[in-house]
Amino acid sequence: MNDVVIAGYVRSPFTFASKGALARVRPDELAAQVVRALIERTGVDSAEVEDLMLGCAFPEGEQGLNVARVVAILSDALPITTAGVTINRFCGSSMQAIHSAAGAIRMDAGAAFVCAGIESMSRVPMMGYNPMPHPELYARFPAVYMGMGETAENVARRFQVTREAQEAFAVRSQARAAQARDAGRLSDEIVAIDSGDGTRVEQDGCLRPETTTEGLAGLRPAFMEGGTVTAGTSSPLTDGAAAVLVCSADHARARGLTPLARIRSIAVSGCEPDIMGIGPVAASRKALERAGIGVDALDVIELNEAFASQAIACIRELGLDEDKVNIDGGAIALGHPLGATGARITGKAAALLVRGGGRYALATQCIGGGQGIATVLEAM
Amino acid sequence: MEIRKVAVLGAGVMGSGIAAQVANAGVPVLLLDVVPAGATDRNALAAGAVERMLGTEPAPFMDRRNARLVTPGNLEDDLDALADVDWIVEAVVERLDVKRDLYRRVDAVRKPGSVVSSNTSTIPMSSLVEGMPDAFRADFLITHFFNPPRYMRLLELVAGPDSRAQAADAVGRFCDERLGKGVVRANDTPGFIGNRIGVYWLQVAALEAMEMGLSVEAADAVAGRPMGIPRTGVFGLLDLVGIDLMPHILASMDATLAADDPFREYARLPPLVERMIADGYTGRKGKGGFYRMRRDGGRRVKEAIDLATGEYRTSVEPSVEAVRAAREGGLAALVASDDVGGRYAARVLSRTLAYAASLVPEIADDVVAVDEAMRLGFNWRHGPFELIDTLGPAWLADDLRAQSRPVPPLLERAVAAGGFYRLSGGRREHLAVDGTWRPVERAPGVLLLEDVKLAHGPLARNGSASLWDLGDGVLCVEFHSKMNAIDADTLAMLRTAMERVASGHRALVIHNEGDNFSVGVNLGLALFAANIAAWDEIERLVEAGQRTYAALAAAPFPVVGAPAGMALGGGCEVLLHCDAIVAHAETYMGLVEVGVGLIPAWGGCTAMLARWAAEPKAPRGPMPAVGQCFESIGMAKVSRSAAEARALHFLRPQDQIVMNRDRVLAAAKQRALELATDYRSPEPTSLTLPGPSGAAALDLALHGLRLKGQATAHDAVVATALARVLSGGDADPTRPVDAETVRALERESFMGLIRQPATIARMEHMLETGKPLRN
Repeated sequence: MNDVVIAGYVRSPFTFASKGALARVRPDELAAQVVRALIERTGVDSAEVEDLMLGCAFPEGEQGLNVARVVAILSDALPITTAGVTINRFCGSSMQAIHSAAGAIRMDAGAAFVCAGIESMSRVPMMGYNPMPHPELYARFPAVYMGMGETAENVARRFQVTREAQEAFAVRSQARAAQARDAGRLSDEIVAIDSGDGTRVEQDGCLRPETTTEGLAGLRPAFMEGGTVTAGTSSPLTDGAAAVLVCSADHARARGLTPLARIRSIAVSGCEPDIMGIGPVAASRKALERAGIGVDALDVIELNEAFASQAIACIRELGLDEDKVNIDGGAIALGHPLGATGARITGKAAALLVRGGGRYALATQCIGGGQGIATVLEAM
Repeated sequence: MEIRKVAVLGAGVMGSGIAAQVANAGVPVLLLDVVPAGATDRNALAAGAVERMLGTEPAPFMDRRNARLVTPGNLEDDLDALADVDWIVEAVVERLDVKRDLYRRVDAVRKPGSVVSSNTSTIPMSSLVEGMPDAFRADFLITHFFNPPRYMRLLELVAGPDSRAQAADAVGRFCDERLGKGVVRANDTPGFIGNRIGVYWLQVAALEAMEMGLSVEAADAVAGRPMGIPRTGVFGLLDLVGIDLMPHILASMDATLAADDPFREYARLPPLVERMIADGYTGRKGKGGFYRMRRDGGRRVKEAIDLATGEYRTSVEPSVEAVRAAREGGLAALVASDDVGGRYAARVLSRTLAYAASLVPEIADDVVAVDEAMRLGFNWRHGPFELIDTLGPAWLADDLRAQSRPVPPLLERAVAAGGFYRLSGGRREHLAVDGTWRPVERAPGVLLLEDVKLAHGPLARNGSASLWDLGDGVLCVEFHSKMNAIDADTLAMLRTAMERVASGHRALVIHNEGDNFSVGVNLGLALFAANIAAWDEIERLVEAGQRTYAALAAAPFPVVGAPAGMALGGGCEVLLHCDAIVAHAETYMGLVEVGVGLIPAWGGCTAMLARWAAEPKAPRGPMPAVGQCFESIGMAKVSRSAAEARALHFLRPQDQIVMNRDRVLAAAKQRALELATDYRSPEPTSLTLPGPSGAAALDLALHGLRLKGQATAHDAVVATALARVLSGGDADPTRPVDAETVRALERESFMGLIRQPATIARMEHMLETGKPLRN
């Protein structure tokens, strides 16, 4: 059987929506620069890239018009013969792009794929410009459309995640991200972005290394009066793009590419929408089962931090070793550009396997509307 | 000479405020101050002032973006930049040596013919320019702004004997047309006009109150509203401006006034005031002043100082016979009242008005300038000479004689002439110092309804509105009910106006000279009708308003709205149905109905949807306009300037903003006449609305606010009713709806809400307290 490997990972800096350094950069332009860098750094023969699979949670406006095809051409790095598809599974969009490519490779429907993700939360609002929920469904089952903050509160309550636990988690995420940045451990993955006004954006912009539990304790609940979730324990609105190269192991070998990790298994799973943050639990269990391993076998875990409450609940439910989770920090510190996060954490998990010499990695995330998505990677 | 670029030297409260107002006019301005010792940012003072102003309330900037027009700099590195500046305003510390030194440095770099003016309030011009070159003296003026420069309308302009007439004209025109100030020409005398008379009045009123044994509340009750003076009266005003200013002003007056000036009789600081200043009781900015607010548990208790003992006690509503008399009999009854309040009023008015009469032509060429200065600078409803006319010049002369005080020659003339003003041939004339009658001149481009009214009677009139002929085929509806609230009579007058214009006129303007254009529908009447369950009556009023406003929009002639001040609720909706709006820069527009548990139902929702849908920069689709309207109407957003009203889409891009209130009506008339040529009524409104799925999206947003505790139970009820209107009820995006469909939804939602006890409670609370009830 044809093994599928990750053979490269890059991302843009992640910066705050609206006030950050990438707020004035069009998302298609941002993604194109990241894709170009991926092609250049991996040395893949672009003529052999079958498809650009681009995840985006709100594919409209500047992210509309099948933005994947637009980015492929805009990148000046892919030939006209490389196709482009925009994939939407909300926050799981670009991890789904990796899954779709893996499936295609197994089908012998292509040897190399660029799997990327993009979200400008500055330029396309969450929920889009024209949110129009199905009125009868909304009346019958409003949780389908529930705001993410409320689901985070539900998870905190149902899984008894205290505010203090969330804040301790957020402080650690911030500290780990800051340490990683200061030690230069993030610089390899980051592509400097030409912002179009003559400046280059080279650094992540969301980190708040000064975060303390005392500081967080002073914040007001962000979503619910009397709630426990604050801006400090939630991932910020973020602009960013990420991309990984997914190809067959044969292709990598034949073309002299450098595979980071093998995709061992994949899974998605639905859950109750009002506790969507718990989605990684079922998805991860499925993926681990398909990989034939238990959580104990994992050396690296990238669990997206949409909110501290759901990340903690997932860690507890799955019985994960916290020391292996998000060792270079997570989305609370780095930011969460919805469509781009899946490619980031999967690429990051692969890179961490290389860096740390472990064998198995898990990348997983929750998805609005009530889903989880998970990928198990194995070292080469 | 045209002023295209301005510099302000000195970034204190006045200097930075002047710079902000220049920026509000859309003119780039350089703001320079000294380099603070040891500063890393050499522009720290000016940059800090701009930063501070962005957080100041009331806001110096009409639009936050105007701050970009202010370039901060410093007086050491950036003086060269003055070379391309047309008008340089000096507003540095009131020290002659500092100012003179600065003038010499400025003169070395400024371009020939540029104008330099000082915002001094205490230093005579002759001292300022002493020893300066002739060219500088020719280009030098005093421009005395009042604080805060955006909001205070008076600008005293002083030209010296050497000043070029063109320089004074250019700056005067700029301040009038671009900065919107009422420019009053004053002579180079201490305190000019406003402070000379205003400070004298304050001193007389404060010292006489102490002398005659009035309480601070009683003094303010007498020396306030009955005299047409803001309700802060004398002690409330001193608290507002800062009691610690008094010794400075008195010292400056003492240094500059003639030895025999009557001011000196009152130029003393009472021991009580000295003690208050020493103890930090400097007014509202300090620990308190003549009044203070004390926390008593959770309550705030207003206290007033006892002028005799200096002890604070709970403030009480004063009972003054003279004030009651004045309510019926006006000013004459006030001064004739045989109680201490009446005697106090007579004393204060007699002293103040006589002093004013003694100062013309010393401080200004005529009485018109003095009256204007006191109206605009101290918000007096009537200037001192208008007050003398109201009391009768003979009353004042007799009173002075009875007290063996001199009668000013100008007052003698007025006694003989029968007053300082008269009507002649429909025009107002004033008594000049030479005893002749001269017309009260208006600058070109100034048209006042007040003048129109003198010339002719109204074409029609009822209790709430009148119809006037502005000439050239343009008629004008004026609201004049209490606070210009809108009722059935107002609507009837609008319909009358439309009939009259349709038969033989060209255009209609809606304008008035009240403090506020209109605060909205007459809530008291609506509440009364709701309390007796007169639902049919209410629905008829809703329909009448909708029909009338829709008719304005569809009229076969142009209708131009010309607001100033607040235009809220129904007062905002009438403007939204005009073909064009010519708004004073200080126009505060908003659909605030949710505050009383209702929604706009006179076509306001419909009109705002159409405005947002026409926004070319907005994303396409049925939701963006709906979302914007839901936010601005649902949160009762009120613009804090006409510029903000534009951002909120109450004003459209083609609507005009006029800086000077006195120029609004003429500009509106002009606009109406432009539109009247080949006028075609606008196309009927057609709106693409999302229907129930849009309502669901709005409900999601509302749910989020409820969770956060930012919306109350009744907020949710009102917002749900609003969402149904804005989303178009059962509309479908493939079938555009007309305005009547949305108006029918407005009616339905409105009638549903007004029957709810929680809405009635909000209306009652608003009428009683003036504040919204959060139930």
